[in-house]
Amino acid sequence: MSLQREVIAPPLPGLDAGRSFDQQVSMVVRGGEFLFVSGLTAVDPKTGERMLGTTMSETHQILANLKLMLEAAGSSLDKVVKVNVLLHSMLEAPNINEVFSRCFPEPPPARTVCGARLPDGVRVMIECTALA
Amino acid sequence: MMTEKLARSAIQPKNPLLNVSRSANLPHVPGIRVGDYLFLSGMGPIDPRTGGRNHGPIAEQIRTTLNNIKHILEFAGSSLERVVRVHVVLADISHMDEMDRVYREFFPVNPPARTAWSMQLRFGNGCEIECVALVD
Repeated sequence: MSLQREVIAPPLPGLDAGRSFDQQVSMVVRGGEFLFVSGLTAVDPKTGERMLGTTMSETHQILANLKLMLEAAGSSLDKVVKVNVLLHSMLEAPNINEVFSRCFPEPPPARTVCGARLPDGVRVMIECTALA
Repeated sequence: MMTEKLARSAIQPKNPLLNVSRSANLPHVPGIRVGDYLFLSGMGPIDPRTGGRNHGPIAEQIRTTLNNIKHILEFAGSSLERVVRVHVVLADISHMDEMDRVYREFFPVNPPARTAWSMQLRFGNGCEIECVALVD
């Protein structure tokens, strides 16, 4: 039997960044035993509007939204396997650690941090793979 | 829970001209199948007729790259409909909307999870795309 593929709608309309920003993405897709979450940027989960701020504040907002999306999909932050963090500047890499240790239960997931050019002036983009 | 060891094998494109890792003697493979998951290497705008790079307009580069991915997936027993996650890397962040416009042609409904960003790419490529898919 082939593995099941399922697109999982976010629990709040503002979390559907694909719709808010007119991009052809599903926010969460289940494939077999894994959930794949699209690169998230800081948005208000109710309105979908951008919440541009500091690297710390954007990271915090993204992880709060990620928690909502994972839980709506029957998963949670403690089931995250791998996180990729894209930062507008690697000089800011130390600033995300405090937020990560506050948001992720022990042991936190595997993580890669990478400097990148990001759309619309965002400072942080975070995507992850989690257990379904 | 019973744990079964997943089998791991390399996958290849049917068209050998798309096997860039082999033709350029690079230490990676076009993709790996683990159980019923496919993990593809980053694919660039390789012209499937020549094996050379297509450095035309970004729309054309995206179309070429996604067609190459489609080719590899289908030969490995999957398809674009079975893609669960995509990474799109652009050389120029201002190409995001143009990329998305072409991308829609390939993933018209229930698209995969996607992360798209910009960073330096090799060989003058305008894009590099990788994905994870499920075997049919």
